[in-house]
Amino acid sequence: MNDDLLTLYYYKDGLTEAELREVQSALEKDPSLSARYERLCDDLAQFDAQDAVAVAADVTARWHDSIDRAARIERQREQPAGRLLHIPSFAWGTVVAAALAIGIGLGFYLSGQRQAEHVIDPGMVVDLTPEMRSPSIAFARGLQVHLQESRHDLAALPVDAREERAMLITHMIQQNRLFERAAEQNDASDLARVLRAFEPILMRLAMNELPPGDAEALQAQLAFELNVMLTKLERSASENTGPI
Amino acid sequence: MMANHCRQAGIQGLMVAVLERGGLPTQAEFHRAISNRSDCWFAACLRITRSRELAEDAVQEALLAAWRKRHQFQGDSSLETWIHRIAINAALQLIRKQRPAVHDARAEVIAEMSDDGDSPETDRANDDLGDSLAAALQHLSEIERICFVLRHLEQWKVREIAEEVGTNEGRVKQALFRGIRKLRVKMAGMRSQ
Repeated sequence: MNDDLLTLYYYKDGLTEAELREVQSALEKDPSLSARYERLCDDLAQFDAQDAVAVAADVTARWHDSIDRAARIERQREQPAGRLLHIPSFAWGTVVAAALAIGIGLGFYLSGQRQAEHVIDPGMVVDLTPEMRSPSIAFARGLQVHLQESRHDLAALPVDAREERAMLITHMIQQNRLFERAAEQNDASDLARVLRAFEPILMRLAMNELPPGDAEALQAQLAFELNVMLTKLERSASENTGPI
Repeated sequence: MMANHCRQAGIQGLMVAVLERGGLPTQAEFHRAISNRSDCWFAACLRITRSRELAEDAVQEALLAAWRKRHQFQGDSSLETWIHRIAINAALQLIRKQRPAVHDARAEVIAEMSDDGDSPETDRANDDLGDSLAAALQHLSEIERICFVLRHLEQWKVREIAEEVGTNEGRVKQALFRGIRKLRVKMAGMRSQ
């Protein structure tokens, strides 16, 4: 009896019932065959370990984004246009706040040392020093696209699924961490610090209910500020690009 | 400290509530699956493709396919396991597209006879996998490696492998036997060093 047959017996695959019984019987009767089978089992057991492989943060972010995009496309296809104008929920405002927070940080960062007026509670923004350096254009544009897509995603958030919204806020926190790491990698430690400062705020907002009126007011203000910051970001990007 | 812990527990509680709810897997559940298991999907795809880029693409294609077909998810296994299986299929499709001759018998013989070593790309994949199995697997031909990985590591049946690879069970068995013989020799060599 050769090792090939023993291999199939090991996997209990590719043998008929009669063949399985035949091998079983032979193993019971033949000590040398049994020893050979044990060696085969030992060798195959060495190959069992399946270590996970570290995946780069930007790759994982791309996978997350692909799901967001697919979901967004699906919602846009299925939802009537009027649904997009529905008054946002507390979570809507919360996640907009996350996007806004990132946008504000980036806006401050990219607009140099210009002071933004009445954008947000000054306590939320970490002091940005004049010495900070610009991140790469690709990184800045990536953030800009991310903010734009986030705005679309948030507009289509389901209003009647609290758990889903909470999960999405959790995802926003994860995304915030990814952008924070990306900022560090782009030698933009000031921006990273700003993003890092947003996490406890996101955590608080994710868990605390706001009165509906306050949530609506906050949402309206944040939506306005988000638009302002995206405009600044787009202007900054076009200035950096220059004429072709 | 305690407040933070409670907030985390609250979020986790909401996650559990979502997971315990029936119906289609949600967007958030996909995100959770990615956070928890994408490194394992990637490792499995990397062992099949031996290319980091192809493995990344395979996972991405699997996620999109799983999202589109999520109404087919029966819940018999976890969402993570379901996506894992789809990722393996995506990896196989990608290498089939890229190297269509791999399952050709003559190409297989040539691959067995040649000993050109690995390309820089596959060397990098081996480094990424970073274990003795990866080092031993590099001595297998592509069909041997695929059959071994699917049968031994992914627990596919020989019949399933044959269907997916587009060949018959006899050829899968032969590739598996050859692969295991080579691996045992290589591993014995590594032990004696």
